[in-house]
Amino acid sequence: MGSLSASLNIALQSMLAEQGAIETTSNNIANANTPGYSRQRPDLEEMPPVKLGGITLGAGVQMTQVSSLRDKVLELRIDQETQQQGQLNSFISGGQQVQVLFNETSGTGLQAPLSNFFNSLSELSTNPSDLTTRQNVITAAQNLANAFNQTSTNLATLQRNTDLAAQQSVTQINSLITQIAQVNQQVVAATTTGGNAGPFEDQRQQLIGKLSNYIDVAEVDAGNNSLTLTTAGGSALVVGGQSFALTTNADPVTGFQNVYSNGNNITSKIMGGELAGQVQIRDQEIPGIQNSLDALAFQLSTAVNQQNQAGFDLNGSAGGNIFNALAQQGGAAASLRVSITDPGKIAASGGPAPGTPGDNTNANALLALQNQNFISGLTPTNFYSNLVFKIGNDISSAETNQSSGGQVLLQLQNLQGGISGVDINEEAANLMRFQNAYQASAQVSSIINRLMDVTMNMMG
Amino acid sequence: MTVRLNPDLLPNLLISIQQSKMNEATATNQMASGRSVNQPSEDPAATAALVRNHDQSAQDEQFLKNLNNLRGRFQVADSTMSNIVQVMTRAVTLGTEGANGTLSSTDRQALAGEVLGLLKQTLGLANASYQGAFLFGGTAVNSQPFTLDPATNAVTYSGNSKTTSIQLTTGNFTNANVPGDQLFLNSSGSVFGSLQNLYSALVSGNNVDTAVTEVSSALKQLGTQRVFYGNVLNQINLSESFLNQDKVNLGEQENGLVGADLAAVVANYSQAEVANQATISAAGRILGQKTLLDYMV
Repeated sequence: MGSLSASLNIALQSMLAEQGAIETTSNNIANANTPGYSRQRPDLEEMPPVKLGGITLGAGVQMTQVSSLRDKVLELRIDQETQQQGQLNSFISGGQQVQVLFNETSGTGLQAPLSNFFNSLSELSTNPSDLTTRQNVITAAQNLANAFNQTSTNLATLQRNTDLAAQQSVTQINSLITQIAQVNQQVVAATTTGGNAGPFEDQRQQLIGKLSNYIDVAEVDAGNNSLTLTTAGGSALVVGGQSFALTTNADPVTGFQNVYSNGNNITSKIMGGELAGQVQIRDQEIPGIQNSLDALAFQLSTAVNQQNQAGFDLNGSAGGNIFNALAQQGGAAASLRVSITDPGKIAASGGPAPGTPGDNTNANALLALQNQNFISGLTPTNFYSNLVFKIGNDISSAETNQSSGGQVLLQLQNLQGGISGVDINEEAANLMRFQNAYQASAQVSSIINRLMDVTMNMMG
Repeated sequence: MTVRLNPDLLPNLLISIQQSKMNEATATNQMASGRSVNQPSEDPAATAALVRNHDQSAQDEQFLKNLNNLRGRFQVADSTMSNIVQVMTRAVTLGTEGANGTLSSTDRQALAGEVLGLLKQTLGLANASYQGAFLFGGTAVNSQPFTLDPATNAVTYSGNSKTTSIQLTTGNFTNANVPGDQLFLNSSGSVFGSLQNLYSALVSGNNVDTAVTEVSSALKQLGTQRVFYGNVLNQINLSESFLNQDKVNLGEQENGLVGADLAAVVANYSQAEVANQATISAAGRILGQKTLLDYMV
């Protein structure tokens, strides 16, 4: 047998449940534009039925919980793509600054000074006794040395700037993992007390997304909704409520900051995020270009010096060095100088000693270097042209990957939005539904109220 | 049941707007620079080829400059030779006159004096220089190659017998000089020797005929040597037209590598502009759309 008071109770319960649903809807609408927010759903459930004298009666509705709608696998995929994008973005941004130094399409780079140097020798070969022509060779050699110096210095500056950026990335990473560790604890607390951990998870997910922009992150479920974060190489970043800050320490050889996790140097093991791109530019791309420049400067100046030594200068002495004698290839581009100021010292003449002012035999030999394959098996211009190709191509490949990865990321974000994004129309429809149900329950309680009045009056 | 779509269209719209803006910027850049490639990463292979193209072009430019300079030098040398030929011809005329037996000693002495003048004139010509370098001293270009002994009227050569080789275009070498001794003191006809002998013959009145023959054969010898200068000047002209053609080819190659097809770029720009406007207008409409909430009262 049912009772009026039970009915009244059901109506009141229902009003409470719908009220909760309306509140959830209102919260969804309020957070429609909040970054990282996952839409929430009020979970309405039937109350356990009541058995009265052989009859099982329904006991109304209750709102058991509010759950956030999310797809953890999608989130993981988005994080992975974000890591790749972060790496490519910082690589491309660094690479673009590098390629400005070699932008031959606008005439910036070593081609012009290199060609001019050989052109001055070409002129010398037609007029070996002329002092102005000889002076031009020295000037062209100085311009070439300056171009090497300047390019090398600019590369070193870019490398230092990238090193600073990498340190800033580490600072960001440390700040993020501290926050993630705190939120991770809040997620666990909310989960174990049976509350809705959704908002905390949103926050944690957003922080992991930001972290993914800086470094590669692997996630392991540690139970109770807790996450353990490590780098892809397995270095711990966050375990439960504890974060493991990365540290930096200057490399004894390069002077650049290496990244350490718990005392282990993980610099070369960082696989994703901006930090990976920065390390790649700093430790591979720029050193590679510097090496090529050094090889060109060293082998070219050595060959020119050797050839000049083979001839005789305007004063009849055996030729010496035109460029300073470099002891080693490393750092050659930065330390290349012209070591003569006297235009007579250029050994245009061939033998026998003491040579003659009108003899251009050795000037011809110096000029012939232009088309000899002596820079790692290539002519100076072809060697340099290959370097320009490599610089452009590294950026171009990264840009292709960035663009295709960006498309994938956008797709994934759209899929995630399909699951977690707030749709105002949908919320409006829900609002109407919950409003109707609330109004109906209110109406029911008012009717029961009247029925109670009737019953009371029967007694009077 | 349809798949739930991402209700937030803004990121997609913004990317479309950004993309069309970027296309606009690229086209603007290409229009402004006239190049389709404005940094190495846009076309690494074309940029690398451009380096070689510019290098070749700079070499051509330098060769043309060299040729211009060489032409000046060879023209001076050639016209000097031509003057010497005239002097020698005059010497033959004077000698022939002097060989006439009816001539008085005084007249012969006058002729001899004139021949001595011609000898000195030839000496001056043979010591000709171009831009400070003696033309006929072999590679000893800084010192005067020929000197006259006033007592004997003998001319001695202090230059050397070296020739130089000059590159007219890459790999294309030519001799750049004929040493003075080969030109003027040649054993099969010596310019100075024959003039000296003619002078002596006229002074003494003996063997004037033989001396005239000697001058004639020296003149012939000089003519043979002079061909060299004509040949080199021809080669210079040929090289010059080759280099000019090469420069045109390189220019075309450069244009093919990085030149912008302006018509296509303008079309790209308009396309990007239309796309941009369309996306913006679509975004405006989509974002301004009413929702169900607007109909709830």
